[in-house]
Amino acid sequence: MDFTKILLFNMIALGSPLALAAMGGFASERSGIMNIALEGNMLVGAIATALIGHLTKSPWLGLLGGVSAAVVLSLLHWLLTQYYRMDHIVSGMAINLLAFGVANFLDQKYTDPTAGEIPTLKINAYYTVAIVLPFLIAAYMRYTKGGLRLFAVGNDPSKSRQMGLSPVKVRFLALTITGVFCGLSGALIVSTARYYTDNMTAGDGFIALAALILGSWRPIPALIACLVFGMFKGLEIQLQGVPVFGVHIPREFWFSLPYLITVVALAGFLGKSRVPAGLGKT
Amino acid sequence: MSVKNWVLAGAGAMKLRHLLLIVAGIVSLYALLLLTNVNPGDAGHRLVKGTLGLDMVNGHLSFVSANAISGTLRETCPLLIAGIAVFIALQAGLFNIGVEGQLIVGALTCAAIALRIPGIPGIVLGTIGAVIMGAVWALPAGLIRAYRGGHEVITTIMLNSVAIYVTNGIVSGPLKDVKQESPTTPTLADSSRLPFLYNTSNAQISSGILIGLLLLVAFAFWLRRFVSGYELRAVGSNPVAAKLAGVKTAKTIVMSMVVSGGIAGLAGAVQVLGYTFRYYQDFSQGYGFNALGVALLAGSNPLGIIPAAFFFGLLTKGSSALQVLGIPKDSGFVVLGLLIIVFATIRYRKLISVTES
Amino acid sequence: MPVLEMLGISKSFGAVKALDDVSLSVEKGSIHALVGENGAGKTTLMRILYGATAMDSGTINLNGQSAHISSSAQAISHGIGMVSQHYSIIPELTNLQNLMLGAEPGWTISNKKAASRADELATRMGFSFDWNASASTLSPAGAQKLEILKLLWRNAEIMILDEPTAMLSPADSNALFESLKQLTEAGATVVLVTHRLPEVISHCKEVTVLRGGKFVGSKPVEETNTEELAEMIVGHPLTELAPHQAVGRETARLTLQNLSAKGYRGDLAVNGLSMELYQGELLGIAGVDGNGQRELFQVLTGGLKPESGSINWDGEDITSSTIGNRIAKGFRLIPEDRHAEGVIDDWPLEENAALGLQKQPPFANGAYVDQHGRKGAAEKIAAMFNTKHGGLNNPMSSLSGGNQQRFVAGRVLFLNPQLILAFQPARGLDIDATRKLYDAIRSKCLEGACAIVVSFDLDEILIHCDRVAVMHAGHILNPPKGSEHDRQAIGRLMVGAA
Repeated sequence: MDFTKILLFNMIALGSPLALAAMGGFASERSGIMNIALEGNMLVGAIATALIGHLTKSPWLGLLGGVSAAVVLSLLHWLLTQYYRMDHIVSGMAINLLAFGVANFLDQKYTDPTAGEIPTLKINAYYTVAIVLPFLIAAYMRYTKGGLRLFAVGNDPSKSRQMGLSPVKVRFLALTITGVFCGLSGALIVSTARYYTDNMTAGDGFIALAALILGSWRPIPALIACLVFGMFKGLEIQLQGVPVFGVHIPREFWFSLPYLITVVALAGFLGKSRVPAGLGKT
Repeated sequence: MSVKNWVLAGAGAMKLRHLLLIVAGIVSLYALLLLTNVNPGDAGHRLVKGTLGLDMVNGHLSFVSANAISGTLRETCPLLIAGIAVFIALQAGLFNIGVEGQLIVGALTCAAIALRIPGIPGIVLGTIGAVIMGAVWALPAGLIRAYRGGHEVITTIMLNSVAIYVTNGIVSGPLKDVKQESPTTPTLADSSRLPFLYNTSNAQISSGILIGLLLLVAFAFWLRRFVSGYELRAVGSNPVAAKLAGVKTAKTIVMSMVVSGGIAGLAGAVQVLGYTFRYYQDFSQGYGFNALGVALLAGSNPLGIIPAAFFFGLLTKGSSALQVLGIPKDSGFVVLGLLIIVFATIRYRKLISVTES
Repeated sequence: MPVLEMLGISKSFGAVKALDDVSLSVEKGSIHALVGENGAGKTTLMRILYGATAMDSGTINLNGQSAHISSSAQAISHGIGMVSQHYSIIPELTNLQNLMLGAEPGWTISNKKAASRADELATRMGFSFDWNASASTLSPAGAQKLEILKLLWRNAEIMILDEPTAMLSPADSNALFESLKQLTEAGATVVLVTHRLPEVISHCKEVTVLRGGKFVGSKPVEETNTEELAEMIVGHPLTELAPHQAVGRETARLTLQNLSAKGYRGDLAVNGLSMELYQGELLGIAGVDGNGQRELFQVLTGGLKPESGSINWDGEDITSSTIGNRIAKGFRLIPEDRHAEGVIDDWPLEENAALGLQKQPPFANGAYVDQHGRKGAAEKIAAMFNTKHGGLNNPMSSLSGGNQQRFVAGRVLFLNPQLILAFQPARGLDIDATRKLYDAIRSKCLEGACAIVVSFDLDEILIHCDRVAVMHAGHILNPPKGSEHDRQAIGRLMVGAA
């Protein structure tokens, strides 16, 4: 394969898990719940997919297990922020720590590195979902009652309540969706590698969050940001040791690029972003 | 407030749902222990012996291992200083999740300087460099929060990742010790290390912990007895009222973030000069996140950081002591996560209602 | 049979009884006015009907049948709709999305179909809208019209309108009542919350008066008049006016020239305002809420930068000086929302005593906090208006709203104030405490300070202030010579009818 082909393949292969997680983040943040726990949801999704897939020898049950585990964790965030009124950041932090600890525990206790590969579904199916999903979500937001309500609750929960909506219920559904998408993302990561390694998501949840912010909390721009970030990661692999225009660029440069771009965007240098006005409000 | 008042206030604020949460936390911990087939008594015994160095000898509780307690203090020190860093930002109403990144940037800077300049000048300049770099790493988060309204948590998360990649790049490139296989700097000369308070063949206690304690006392004094400390707390407690009271809120936010970052950098410097004597890849074992737990646990009194940091030191040292029993080391994060949840729901409701309005 | 009956409704917020055994009965197809002073309980009663506030006791009957309403969703399903004073339009949504929200035509939304039904409703009322435009571009009158269409979209049979004309021009107000008339003729019922009596007399069929959370009376409009209603609202003929000191207007301390400032909606809320305040003067600014009073205060304290114009204090241009510098010059504020803007809830009283004065002795000694001085000062501040507290180390949140208010007032008057700015200072205080507060402000004025008080309660200003001015549409209007304390003349200025 030539350089461009590999680049495009990497863009999709490495961008897809980001895109799935970013759509998870979209559901949550559009409903008004700040979510830094995408990483934890993905990690738990990955370990559960690996573990259950391995134990049952069924890729479908593995996927189901991964998605369910991520949904449970995502709904914990809903419970803590909506019912216990916990700060969204503290709750997200705590959930990431829980996920990290639990995944590490399960990994060390129950996965056997010599047991071989875990059964997986077709990876291309995941890629297709990841690329098509943002368009479906954009259409959903535009043409359905549910989309309108999600948008309204995220912008102004108290006025939405006045119009007879129940923000807590809308957010419950939103965080269920967040869990599903993050679970899918974790399952994709573990299915690509075909085995689980410790802390496998390695910060992808935060990159997905960065992409969502860069995309101004809109699904299709967020997808594009994810693909670009995926391309950076791919370039890092491709360019290892190869000088560009005679300059040797350290791999760390490509790794940090997505984060740096996001900081620049947050500083307002890339135009005004459209934060959901009700983010963090009850 | 006396202890009795505190307990009463706590009980008064406690509702059924909080009780449910605590019960759920304990049940999940117990389930975790059951899954490992570890005898809780055995685990407890090893925990006490491995962290405090206490054991039953001939029916008497005796001190058997200086190594254990020195190890616990070694874990406590970075959490103490990083805990102050998180605490100061929290007092201004900011979550500095970036302590992790500010700490490693500071540590690397300090190592780089102390490796080139030997002796006390190296220690001093290295520390100053670490404080400056930590502050610089926190500055964008403060500016973006104060003048652009971007959430400091997002900025600091992003800058953490940048810090990890940048330091990894440097320590596996220009600063790498060519004689070592793994990415690490060379080791500091003896003259470039902080003195020990206690030094035997099997246990050492660095004066780093003393630096942390002194800093904490100074900080606690400043917070209560200086007008600027009063204004910082006002911004964190009610930014609208603080602004109407003539406090320059934007400036205060930037300053508190910068100071917080500087102290995080200091934590990195003390870690290098007092304990590790070098910088290596994956230097921080989640100090920044643990420090957030320390600050949340400490509540509103800065002196609460001491027991909180010691408790987290116990937890860290304890989980390595329990590794022998087959409990994976990082499972300690489960305990940390549960603790934060239980504490935050009960104690931080006020803080939240203020930030909401 | 009345279409709506509310019987024996009571509601308390903490120790404050907002509604005490209030009843309301409304005939089908009529406009029923609900009138009373600020704080009489009108809005609370309507929020209970709309399910936005829970009542402590009482019953609600709709068409003779008892109805259980515990959420807005339930009220809506009973055919009740409400347009609140601050509108429930979400600016990030389009006009059409706002119209549909909560009552969407189906699972999927066809913008085309929805827009055609929306157009149909709009034409019926004589309105027209660009449905795909963002709602953030709506004028106050446009937002009001959209709110009415929202009620029609939901087929609301009972429509609650809370102070609908507060932000409308006279022409827009007339158009609104024209539309309401049409709706009632078609069978809808309207409950109109207002404090503008002329509206009641010319457009409503029946009127119910509340005072201090209690039911005063209900009457058909044709059997009453403005004077009688005014007396029912106030409860007694007007209290005797204060012995107004004839202040020698010699030294102008504060001079505002051509001052303009933007409000939160982006329009000029303070619009080319000029005025002078003299040494010793206690100026009361009357006016309907939302005429730029808040923005004027923000500009005076230094929290809002004026677009143009200048502020002079003792001959010095302070237009761009900071809040802190103005506090140092003796500017003091009793803020509108004491709880959110004036105190820190979980801090002890002693620390709260220093808020705003933290840099000055006796609260500070250079860069240090003077703990001894602060303690003594806190004691004096608490004693000034008899703040009831359980010790200066107790948190502010342990005080009732009224006591927090006393404490804040004490703090404002404590350290040599020169310009006292008070926004609705009597809110939450009883008559005695109100008089004491105004007396204390006046005695500071006699010592050489000056004060501006904003209140939406005209009588409070007439009773307590030396000079009365009116704020209307971002301007300061002075009553004509000879009628400086004439309630009628000032009332006309308030509605811009002079």
